Amino acid sequence: MKRIVFCFVALFLCIVALSFITLVSGPVDVSIGELLDSRIFWDLRVPRVAAALLAGIALSVSGLSLQTVFQNPLAGPFVLGISSGASFAVALSMLAGFSFGRFGTLTAASVGAFGVTLLILAIASRFRNNTVLLVAGLLIGYFIDACINLLITMSDGESLKVYVSWGMGSFGRLTLGGIWIFASAVLVGLALISASVRYLNGARLGDDFARGLGIRVSLYKKLVLLGASILAAAVTAFCGPVAFLGIAVPHLAYLLFKTSNHRILLPGSALCGVCLALLAGLFPEYPLNAILSLVGVPVILWVLVRSAKRGGL
Amino acid sequence: MLLKLRQVTFGYGAPLAKPLDMEIPVGQVFALVGENGCGKSTLLKTLAGMIVPLSGIQELDGRPLAEYSLRELSKKVALVRMGLVAPTEMTVREFVSLGRSPYAGFLDGRSAEDEQIIDQALTEMDVKAFAERKVAELSDGERSRVYLARALSQQVKLLLLDEPDAFMDIPRRKNLFVTLQRLSREKDMAVVLSTHWIDYGEKYADTILAFTSQGNLEFAPAVRARELGLFSWAEV
Repeated sequence: MKRIVFCFVALFLCIVALSFITLVSGPVDVSIGELLDSRIFWDLRVPRVAAALLAGIALSVSGLSLQTVFQNPLAGPFVLGISSGASFAVALSMLAGFSFGRFGTLTAASVGAFGVTLLILAIASRFRNNTVLLVAGLLIGYFIDACINLLITMSDGESLKVYVSWGMGSFGRLTLGGIWIFASAVLVGLALISASVRYLNGARLGDDFARGLGIRVSLYKKLVLLGASILAAAVTAFCGPVAFLGIAVPHLAYLLFKTSNHRILLPGSALCGVCLALLAGLFPEYPLNAILSLVGVPVILWVLVRSAKRGGL
Repeated sequence: MLLKLRQVTFGYGAPLAKPLDMEIPVGQVFALVGENGCGKSTLLKTLAGMIVPLSGIQELDGRPLAEYSLRELSKKVALVRMGLVAPTEMTVREFVSLGRSPYAGFLDGRSAEDEQIIDQALTEMDVKAFAERKVAELSDGERSRVYLARALSQQVKLLLLDEPDAFMDIPRRKNLFVTLQRLSREKDMAVVLSTHWIDYGEKYADTILAFTSQGNLEFAPAVRARELGLFSWAEV
């Protein structure tokens, strides 16, 4: 219990410190008083912190709940093909010139992500087997990636450059006005997943066991899949395809909190995710995906090696 | 009567035994015996409401089993299977606490009363000493007791156990049967367990339920089971 309180406090302080650093540091040197009135502060730095906060929460919660549903430590927002779906729609708009209306990229990413989500939910209601769903998700992802590659070979240099830079991900694209849309989408996703805590706590032991605890597995599985998809879609729409954070963070949370209770793991993962996202956001001059992978890959490797040593894998 | 079976047949597709008429009262232990693959697990799953019977009616506390919601059912019936694999991070206490899930609210919290019931279950199955250890790191015998503690904390009226003694040595097996007999009397609970240890069943159970040959499921009071030939299939 002590450990859990300590971890929450430590993570919270880390987040406050990292947010502060992000807000006050930058290439332009100004005093705090001037800063609060400046456009750099409100148009650039505040949205950047908000993007890192929301993306950190969304990706880690989505990753954790998908790992639980699939009972697979390597699941994450990317396995369901959700990020690929969003990327495909964005590629259509940027490379093939399809127009998605006023909000352009944002609408495109949402449409793509939800298209795949509907497909996944349809598969989930036809097949009860989680492995089928997991494999189907991966295959959908590969298929969509292939379509994107076709679009890439057929497009001209200029639009390709725009698309590739979108694909690297960034916390710098969110605008002050966009924060509310992003935050509402994340809240909806979080609400769906929080409503399923009882299911998530039983799900790690298999569907039959969860049903034996009086949990309506098929209903809650769909709620969680929908929630995780909304979270992944929102992040992809506002920050690009940066879903990778989602598979690394839950393992960090297991290590820190040493529990399997989602009442603690969900907020715990969210805080860990925000810390990592803010940390990666401190280097805005480098591609976000590269920084996130540089942080995330060692974490996953460490966890895999550790559990292999204990005979877990 | 806790559970009434009327003309119940069960199985996947084809029935595994002739229609069964049986009553299971509280305060009794039923031992289910038979060779591998004869349908013991399928019968237990049917009694648990996990598989719908092929025909016939099951009544639990005077109400057809099919009318129960999942949550109502989980407060009355628990099936414990030993093949379960616990996630690596889960502690014994966390696992046993899952038994309170049917009683939990929206956010899956546990009240002080819940914690007390969990403590009791841990003590009852003699696993309290390693409550903070990981389930995945226990020996098979220890884990079996932890799995039983979860079902106890669920406070069900019908406890179904699928070969709970499979991984136990002789002293612990004896202990298990004694404990189950005592719990069934003290907590007004019916226990149905499948086992390959006929002599323990004969000594500690009240009723023997035996697959005597292909498609033949018979039951008799434990004291008369041998003379009625319920064990003839198992003679060395």
